Amino acid sequence: MIATRKYAWLGLTSARSNLAYLAEVAARTLFLGVILFIFLQLWRATYAESGAERLGGLTLPQMLWYLAITEAIILSAPRVSHEVDQEVRTGALAVQLVRPLSYPLARLGMTLGERLVRFALNAGVGALVALVLVGPVPIAPQGLAMFAAALLGAFVLDFLALFLVGLGAFWMEDTSGLALIYSRLTMILGGMLLPLELFPEAVQPLLRALPFAGIVYGPARLFVRPDAAFLADLLVRQGVAVAVFALAVAAVYRAGIGRIHANGG
Amino acid sequence: MESSVVAEQLVKTFVVTSGWGRGRTRREVVAVDGISLDIPAGQAVAFIGPNGAGKSTTIKMLTGILHPTSGSARVLGYTPWRERRELVRHIGAVFGQRSQLWYHLPPRDTFELLARIYELDRPTYLRRRDMLIERFGIGPFLTTPVRKLSLGQRMRAEVAASLLHGPKVLFLDEPTIGLDVVARQELRDLISSWNRDEGMTVFLTSHDAGDVERVARRAIVINHGRVVFDDKVSALRREYLAAKILSVKFQAPVAPIELPGVTTLKATEYALKLEVDTRVTPIERVMSAVLRAGPVADIAIEDPPLEEVIAHIYSRGAPQAPEEVTTP
Repeated sequence: MIATRKYAWLGLTSARSNLAYLAEVAARTLFLGVILFIFLQLWRATYAESGAERLGGLTLPQMLWYLAITEAIILSAPRVSHEVDQEVRTGALAVQLVRPLSYPLARLGMTLGERLVRFALNAGVGALVALVLVGPVPIAPQGLAMFAAALLGAFVLDFLALFLVGLGAFWMEDTSGLALIYSRLTMILGGMLLPLELFPEAVQPLLRALPFAGIVYGPARLFVRPDAAFLADLLVRQGVAVAVFALAVAAVYRAGIGRIHANGG
Repeated sequence: MESSVVAEQLVKTFVVTSGWGRGRTRREVVAVDGISLDIPAGQAVAFIGPNGAGKSTTIKMLTGILHPTSGSARVLGYTPWRERRELVRHIGAVFGQRSQLWYHLPPRDTFELLARIYELDRPTYLRRRDMLIERFGIGPFLTTPVRKLSLGQRMRAEVAASLLHGPKVLFLDEPTIGLDVVARQELRDLISSWNRDEGMTVFLTSHDAGDVERVARRAIVINHGRVVFDDKVSALRREYLAAKILSVKFQAPVAPIELPGVTTLKATEYALKLEVDTRVTPIERVMSAVLRAGPVADIAIEDPPLEEVIAHIYSRGAPQAPEEVTTP
């Protein structure tokens, strides 16, 4: 219990640190407004052209809200891989190891704290823009609770993947290329612009099985169309992916720590 | 007296590989080559040596971050690399170039966080925090974001943060780097008085001879992974820090100064750089000679760089570590 409290406090401190320069973070969310406006025009034309009321099971307002949530998830991604890469490369990791903390758990706590602040801000701006452009979509407290559960799973999963990329610095000269590939895969295969239902049917099962959908598509879809069965399925998929990534992180971290001497400081 | 840090024949080698395929080569590098230490509880030790001497690797082994290739060590009774999690609750570390303070938050928030990390109970935490605030003079900037602090203030908060959990051994790695003369002196005095009053063992690495002289009682010099000097700082000072570097700028051209024990390192029409062996001629006499030589525009007295001190140790045949060292 005490052990959990220290990581929770790290999360809280990280959240407060991010709130300290809120104006700067808020300035970045202007981008979100522009994106949503452009995509509204595109989707309007697409809905009008197809003549359908729903595409992939979503109405036009639902589609824009879906987009607001996926964009908020993507734009709130902290630079975990870059920070871990730097800590490994400069030897700053050694500073973390002389405290009674598990480095991966400490990083998880800090990342969740930072991400919650950034997501709240992005989602707030996204919701405001969506509200002005297409009006509200029905949201029930139960749906919000489902969304929150899915979001937590998504953030933990995304953290593990990013952390794993950062640990690559123990062996690689530069992990930024790997981080770029991961972020683009998350955007494209995770369903940031298109819900998975709009992908060709043949590839949908594969996309659902990949972890990217659990990070982006799953939570956003639950937000616009809450569904207990969908949530249960999503949590199982997220749970399996989290377990696999956690094992990979544990193995790679253990191997990496053995190489710490090679990294100065 | 009870030992707080003991190391016996610590060796650390690692393999460096380069190239690809058939051209790939493996080279074994010896970073630490049989270091033995015995540091009694409460002693302040300077652990010095040039870059790449093995200081950092030794500290990483003593703090449990690295496994040695061979040899043994006990820090506060723990084998560091096997019992790191238990050990780190009782040691503190300050890295001059790496902050543990949260940059956008005031020092108070980092203190609160550290209280949770070290699982301090509330009354103990508050008592220690208030004592550190008073001793380190942090009160005026306790609630100011770290990014707005001067480097001197930041380092005081940094050291105080590392003392919050009452470590029995404090590792300091270049704690005064980048500080101005006054801030440097303040920090040295604070560390030194804490060591004296609290009986905390101090393990200091620094490139600054002043840090070594003001903070430590004992100096261990290492080079190429081996101990080349282990004795009292007063012996180091007497033997190797007796030289001072005197840089003088004049307002008018001057003639060279010739005194016993004074070597001219550099001379131009308006400037002189002298190395003074203070055992032969006291610095005051050299200063008088300088002032008599012509109108002085600027003057500075410095210690020779530690690299030079180590070179001197080598040129005199690298004395071996003595069996016993007097404790403070």
